[in-house]
Amino acid sequence: MRRVFAVLATLLASAAVLAQEEELMVPDVVQIEGNIFAEVLILFGCFFILVSAIGMVRFPDVYTRLHSSTKLVALGGIGIFGGAALAFLPIGATERVLLIGLFFFMTAPVAGYMISRSSYLMGLPLYREEVSIDAWGAHGEMAEASMVEDDEDDPGEVRGLPPSGDSPAA
Amino acid sequence: MVVSFALICIILSVLFAVWRIIRGPTWGDRVAGLDFLGVSLAVLIVLLALRTGFTAFLDAALIVSILGFVSTVALTRYRLARRIER
Repeated sequence: MRRVFAVLATLLASAAVLAQEEELMVPDVVQIEGNIFAEVLILFGCFFILVSAIGMVRFPDVYTRLHSSTKLVALGGIGIFGGAALAFLPIGATERVLLIGLFFFMTAPVAGYMISRSSYLMGLPLYREEVSIDAWGAHGEMAEASMVEDDEDDPGEVRGLPPSGDSPAA
Repeated sequence: MVVSFALICIILSVLFAVWRIIRGPTWGDRVAGLDFLGVSLAVLIVLLALRTGFTAFLDAALIVSILGFVSTVALTRYRLARRIER
């Protein structure tokens, strides 16, 4: 594994030396071995990401899989990005890692909400449907209504106007 | 050493996400798998930057995360507008 990373690093270095000076692209040494907080945070994060991946495989339903992936990826992102930010402190790339983490914390709930909403409106089946509670009570029927509402955005179609005798444009 | 172990864990999770995308019985499973795959790949690139010492990988991680979010939102919106068949 160490040899694979060495080959990757030398490829990147040789490609970048052609563009810039040589002394800029020598990789800085990241000291993670003595940084116990960064090690613990990275282990925490990769444990949670692995658990959420197992949940993606083992859960029986679209919504439970979304529960697994979205929440636990946000929780693992705390560990991975916090640990990477702590390890990048002597180099000075901490703010970029924190920017990626902030972006994940802003977008992961929105993505999960969009996927679950579209799955519900499409009428994808629930797991153990006779026991669970459907709060909207329109599983599958609201899909048709929402799709009709979304089709109103088409520019060639005019709805909601009074009949043509009252319209001033006629 | 810790970073190598974390890389092995993230690669396993990427393989699980790919399995879910291939196997997924419905449309929502595949989109959820794609979202999970995008987040896992961004985390993988951050760990590669930590492993090799190149801070240029962090920009690649930011681009991958932005593209994953935008593709997820676009897929769900277009499916709700019934422009993609099941």
